[in-house]
Amino acid sequence: MRAVGSASTQHTVRLADEFFYLAHDDRSGRLRLFESAAAYGLAAALLAELGWERRITFESRYVRVTNAAPPKDWLQHLVLDRLVAEPRHTATRTWLAFLAETAYEQVATRMWQLGYLQPQQTGRWWRQRTVYVPADMNTAAWSWARLSHQLRNYQPLSAFDVALAGLAVHTQLDPILLDGTPPATRAFLRHQVELAPLPLRDLFADLGAVVGASVLSHRTG
Amino acid sequence: MSHSKPDTVSAVLARGRLGIPSVVFFVIAAAAPLTVIAGGATTGYAVTGVTGIPVAYLLVAAVLALFAVGYVAMSRRIVNAGAFYTYVTRGLGRPAGVGAAMVALLAYNAMQIGLYGGAGAVTAAFLNDRYGWQLTWWICALAVWAVVTILGVARIDLNGRVLAVVLLAECVAALTFDAIMITHPADGQVSFDTLAPTHVFAAGIGAALVTAITGFVGFEGTVVFSEETKDPRRTVARATYIAVAVTGLLYGLSAWAMSVATGPDRIVDAARTDGTDLLFNLVSPYLSQSVITVARILFITSLFAALLSFHHTVARYLFALGRERVLPALFGRTSRRTGAPKIGSLVQSGLAFAVLVGYALAGADPIVHLFFWITVTGGLGVLILMTLTSAAVIGFFARTTHTEGAWRSAVAPAAATIALGGILTVTLREFATLLGVKPDSPLRWAFPAAYAVAALLGIAWALTLRATNPHVYAAIGLGADSDTGTLRHPDLIRQPA
Repeated sequence: MRAVGSASTQHTVRLADEFFYLAHDDRSGRLRLFESAAAYGLAAALLAELGWERRITFESRYVRVTNAAPPKDWLQHLVLDRLVAEPRHTATRTWLAFLAETAYEQVATRMWQLGYLQPQQTGRWWRQRTVYVPADMNTAAWSWARLSHQLRNYQPLSAFDVALAGLAVHTQLDPILLDGTPPATRAFLRHQVELAPLPLRDLFADLGAVVGASVLSHRTG
Repeated sequence: MSHSKPDTVSAVLARGRLGIPSVVFFVIAAAAPLTVIAGGATTGYAVTGVTGIPVAYLLVAAVLALFAVGYVAMSRRIVNAGAFYTYVTRGLGRPAGVGAAMVALLAYNAMQIGLYGGAGAVTAAFLNDRYGWQLTWWICALAVWAVVTILGVARIDLNGRVLAVVLLAECVAALTFDAIMITHPADGQVSFDTLAPTHVFAAGIGAALVTAITGFVGFEGTVVFSEETKDPRRTVARATYIAVAVTGLLYGLSAWAMSVATGPDRIVDAARTDGTDLLFNLVSPYLSQSVITVARILFITSLFAALLSFHHTVARYLFALGRERVLPALFGRTSRRTGAPKIGSLVQSGLAFAVLVGYALAGADPIVHLFFWITVTGGLGVLILMTLTSAAVIGFFARTTHTEGAWRSAVAPAAATIALGGILTVTLREFATLLGVKPDSPLRWAFPAAYAVAALLGIAWALTLRATNPHVYAAIGLGADSDTGTLRHPDLIRQPA
């Protein structure tokens, strides 16, 4: 049984969900990527979803709302509402940082509501935490298998997959797609990502910069 | 009213932001006060034979406070503000910037690797003394090296709270020792001789000054946190001044207190006899043995904190340069699971391992030849970088439109450049004294020449990039932001928040 979710969107594949799958092990639900990069990647995916829905666009280092009509998806609606309500913040980096605070839980919740993920408690009592385990391994592995297969065969990616691959490249997740491939495959991936439309490439550039900055200013504890 | 609604974005982003105390803690802990007092100051007395070490610490603190005026003002306006070479790039051009980056890599590596000598020798002495073991310095150094290597790749820093507790304990220990030494002066009277300003003009002051500079390396790190502070404009500036003032006074006071306890005329001989044990030996008659043991352990943990901190510094420098493609792009990749700048971290550890093995095989002295020689050579490199950066601040503000007053944008940076340049000149002239070798020894030129070679290689590489790879050339100094360089006019200068 699906908890919530409007019937019209339940079969739509959404970028943040696909990136969530890509960033986690399809079997154990364990994160494949360091936490801050995963959070920024999901934040960028949520913004890219709104770009896909033609609600916002990216111009150089700024986000601009082009159409404030509410999207059908509750999470897209929530994010767009914030963008509309806070016109004094326009820098893409600011929004990536803001959304990264909550994106992980929000995307996981959205996927749980559609029955894609199951929360599980893991770890001993003193460091217990919730891991979202994919309900169906094949669905979870599909985005990775599709991208990896196409790249290995040098097949051009669809517009959706270009966006997904771009998120992977700029969060340093691309090694999982390229494991064991020659350098030419990496070059092909780079080239495919460079074919993305300019607004998306602007988003990627800011994503790369915030992920890099998080590496440089990291502190434990 | 446009601002009547609450700013939810700023409110969320302000969570977990750093205040002045956190920034000060991070920076001073990386500077490792007990390492400087028990290790740097004592070995400085012993090797250089100069008694003006205390006044050198105070003088250097004053010069660095002056340097910080323009440095902090410029840090608010540039991206990748944590690295000296970014300032040099923006102020003096990209070739100079890459030259500075190579000098920085050499200098921070020297600081880090030199500290292994101190850590190995001090740890071995402590364990052998306490448990009657027969450990050599290099076994202990390699053990510490293994821990640093693992923590480096796992991207583990010392936790903020642990660091704060250890740092406070170090300061309490140092101040307690100082009080004991000053209240138990040699010959029954407190002498201010080693604080006399006349030392500034005495022979060997250059050696003393660069020893002092070495104790402050790391204070420039405050600006790394500028994007994470509650109020970037005030927090970073105040934290920098507080860090310089606190460490300067603590170092000056402690170095002076030691000279009071031995008598100013005997401090050099005492330091030569006791080495890094001097501080502990001077106070041990008046304290219980367990307090001394705790202090010795704190000395070791402070060495370790400094080692880890400089290891991360080098790894991040390599990462930033890899992102810019100034170094191979491989350096710009991170460990997927931990986000550590993996390749940079492993290369630094590999280099340290090679040097440690070399020193062990050569049978060189870990304290004099590794700890002191190599860290003061690192200090010399950082002095070169600070001088260049200070000049770059003038160049930067001369070429940009800004609202800073003349004091921050020109007067203070000019005065700092002259002062740092002066220290650099006397240091180079007295490098033989610094190393404790004969004036005609080729070593006195070998260490400084390494920086000249590194800088020239960097400049040549930048010029090659300009001719062959203009995209990479354009992104020099952008660090993590270099992804944005190919797409749009790079965001070289940001307006202060």
